[in-house]
Amino acid sequence: MSEAAKARSEGEVFASLSGVSKFYGSYAALKDVSLTLRRGEVHMLLGENGAGKSTLVSLLTGANRPDEGEVTLLGRRVEGLTPAYAREAGVNAVLQDFALAPTMTVAENYALGREETWGGLLSTRTMREQAVAAMAAIGVALDPDLRVDRLSRAEQQLLEIVRALGGKPGALILDEPTATLSHDESERLFAAVLKLRAEGWAILYISHRMEEIRRLGDVVTILRDGRLTGHHRLSEVTNEKMVAEMVGRDMGHFYPDIMPRPGNVAFETRALKAGGRLKDASLNARYGEIVGIGGLVGCGKAEVARAAFGLVPVDGGSVWLDGAEVTGVGPRAMLARGFIYLPQDRRGEALALNRSIAENITMEVIGRSGGLGLLAYSKLSSIVSDLVRRLNISPAQPDKQVQELSGGNQQKVVLGRALSLPRKVYVFDEPTSGIDVAARRDFYDQLSALVANGAAILLISSDLQELVHLSHRVYVMQEGVCVAHLQGEAITEDAVVSHAFGAAA
Amino acid sequence: MSFSRSEAGHKTSMAGGLRARLLRFGALPVVLVICIVVFQMGNPRFLSSANTINMMQQGVFLMLIAFGQMLVLLSGGFDLSVGAVVALTSIVSAQAMVAVSNAYPDSQWLPIAAGFGAMLATGVVAGLINGFGVAVLKVNAFIVTLATASIFKGVTLVISQGLQVSGLPRDFVYGIGSGRFLGVPMSVWLALPVLVLIYLLVHHMRFGRYIYAIGANVRSAVVAGVDIRFYLIASYVLCATVTAFSGWLLTARVSSGEPLLGGEFPLNSIAAAVIGGCSLRGGEGRVFGVFLGVIFITVLANGMDLLRIGSNYQMIVLGIVLVGAVVLDRYRSGSGSGSGSARR
Repeated sequence: MSEAAKARSEGEVFASLSGVSKFYGSYAALKDVSLTLRRGEVHMLLGENGAGKSTLVSLLTGANRPDEGEVTLLGRRVEGLTPAYAREAGVNAVLQDFALAPTMTVAENYALGREETWGGLLSTRTMREQAVAAMAAIGVALDPDLRVDRLSRAEQQLLEIVRALGGKPGALILDEPTATLSHDESERLFAAVLKLRAEGWAILYISHRMEEIRRLGDVVTILRDGRLTGHHRLSEVTNEKMVAEMVGRDMGHFYPDIMPRPGNVAFETRALKAGGRLKDASLNARYGEIVGIGGLVGCGKAEVARAAFGLVPVDGGSVWLDGAEVTGVGPRAMLARGFIYLPQDRRGEALALNRSIAENITMEVIGRSGGLGLLAYSKLSSIVSDLVRRLNISPAQPDKQVQELSGGNQQKVVLGRALSLPRKVYVFDEPTSGIDVAARRDFYDQLSALVANGAAILLISSDLQELVHLSHRVYVMQEGVCVAHLQGEAITEDAVVSHAFGAAA
Repeated sequence: MSFSRSEAGHKTSMAGGLRARLLRFGALPVVLVICIVVFQMGNPRFLSSANTINMMQQGVFLMLIAFGQMLVLLSGGFDLSVGAVVALTSIVSAQAMVAVSNAYPDSQWLPIAAGFGAMLATGVVAGLINGFGVAVLKVNAFIVTLATASIFKGVTLVISQGLQVSGLPRDFVYGIGSGRFLGVPMSVWLALPVLVLIYLLVHHMRFGRYIYAIGANVRSAVVAGVDIRFYLIASYVLCATVTAFSGWLLTARVSSGEPLLGGEFPLNSIAAAVIGGCSLRGGEGRVFGVFLGVIFITVLANGMDLLRIGSNYQMIVLGIVLVGAVVLDRYRSGSGSGSGSARR
């Protein structure tokens, strides 16, 4: 782009919302919010779950229309914006709900809706080449002929981003894009975002991570309860102020200091090998401490827990609980012995979405009462209401379907099931991915209480800061092998990253 | 002033409660009332006590089978073999009863007990086969039960040689088949405890919670330590056993073992359950809804009979109603998730 063109496009308004409100019944999802997306600018959008971020995005993509206020695209006021119109104008969005066709290949998905044809026939080769080229442009190397349902969640996310970039240039909306990405993949995404900014794209970026917000953002808009609570240039605002505007109160020090009280070894794996991806992991966790497992996506860190719990068949090695071998006994037996694994994929693996909060929380409790299996409703509901209060689940309506809750509250329901019975070992797999700051803080407080009660915690996380600040010991995995064991002062972000990449000797 | 305000508030909450209840069971109660009114206007005999009892007699077989079908639907499956199980039970239990009454011509109850035992065995075995296919071989329920329907039908025709089995015990035909107690058909009395048991299983026992969980998301049920295999097999066994029981009662009603009995049940039972709010994707539906669904189908068939609408036309109507119910179901769940995404 020439200097003149760049100067012209920089700062030019691509899209704006002015004074928009969106009501659902008497509930205001958004109230009088204004936002301006400019070309060549990365606009961060910050807010807790339920603050109205997704609703705001839906007004820009045409999925919803505002009840009050105006939407302006390319300088023109648009009434009744449709998704097709928005796409035509250059609004490209990567949302959290995946929009890929699982049974089609990477290349087919890339071309979906904009297939190249030659005389009415699909030009498969052209589309395949385009897909490969588009992926290469941001350093993604997926097999174009692989079916999408064979990809990991992170890889699907990357494909969605690549797909969005292949649309008509204009604006790119990213809703927590790094939630499922590894460090390495996130870095590539950041590079791509900065490149697009330089090319004059307008970027709206939703994130909970301060590090990203600082690194990428030019301006930031903060929402709370559907209202605009702050708008700043990032160079002129402190983290504390942003967090305060987001949660409406001072958060204090973000990561709690959790004192370890190490006891006996609770859980141990010896040369564990499973599911093709996990090749050799020997690690242990003692009572009264948090043990972190770090590494890149696909390094096998989740498989350690999944194999131990029995979701992935064990191919070699052994798993020990309280000094007894429990290799391959399966989830039911592991739960009965006090070992619980909370999967990363909440919606896919941890929750029955169309069932209620109460049913999800008491799923295990009901199996522990003897007799005919008649449900003791009064006892169950007191367990549920106690957990709903303790975990601050909102809305505090036990009969509510879980699918109607925000991500953070869904996570709390999963945690509610974990806390519904006493356990010895808790394994959290990416527990804070996609949840907001306040919910995170609540979760850390629960962790702290569990450790104080003497539980052993395994924390599998791609969030380096979280891993480093909370763990008392950290194991680092690389390509299926547990390559490092960090303790005390040695636990740093740099150390985790260099071991994860295999850079450290 | 304050009076009228609280009045208004009360009204909106009442309207809200009504709306919630309507959403829970869909438009079914309303449509049912409309049907009843229309049929009553078309033929004043419709709501007479004789016809009401007639409808109970007609509907009780479908009621049992639809309750069984519901268990399987909740767990995320189907059972297309219910019609074949009815026919198989009819033949097996009739042959057992005839054989025992030939051996012990003096006893009336021994043959009936033998028939009951044969019915139970047929249901349990058929259910175990279906459950094995779905839960152990992990084949899609649609295929498994379509295949077993063919198998059961074949077995029925082989052992009956395509012929009726007559000569059933008198007490079976006249006591259970067409007998009444307090004016209500005997088969309704016999079905009642089974229906109550299924209600308790679904809404008040662990079993129900687990099949809802399996149907809603089988992976999350695994992670929560639910014994998937056991509960899936149990739901197929219960479905087939309840179906067999219904087939046995129907055999008494028609007073002979019939190799071609029950062909309409796969469609009708799924239709009743879905019309009553069961989701075909599993994990959703309530006993009361299915209860209403069966009443609706029974009322529709009986009412159209009284209006002299032929059974061929009735099939057309049922098909349309079924599609309508599924579309309504999607509208209902769509509106539910719509408000959910709004809150995110």
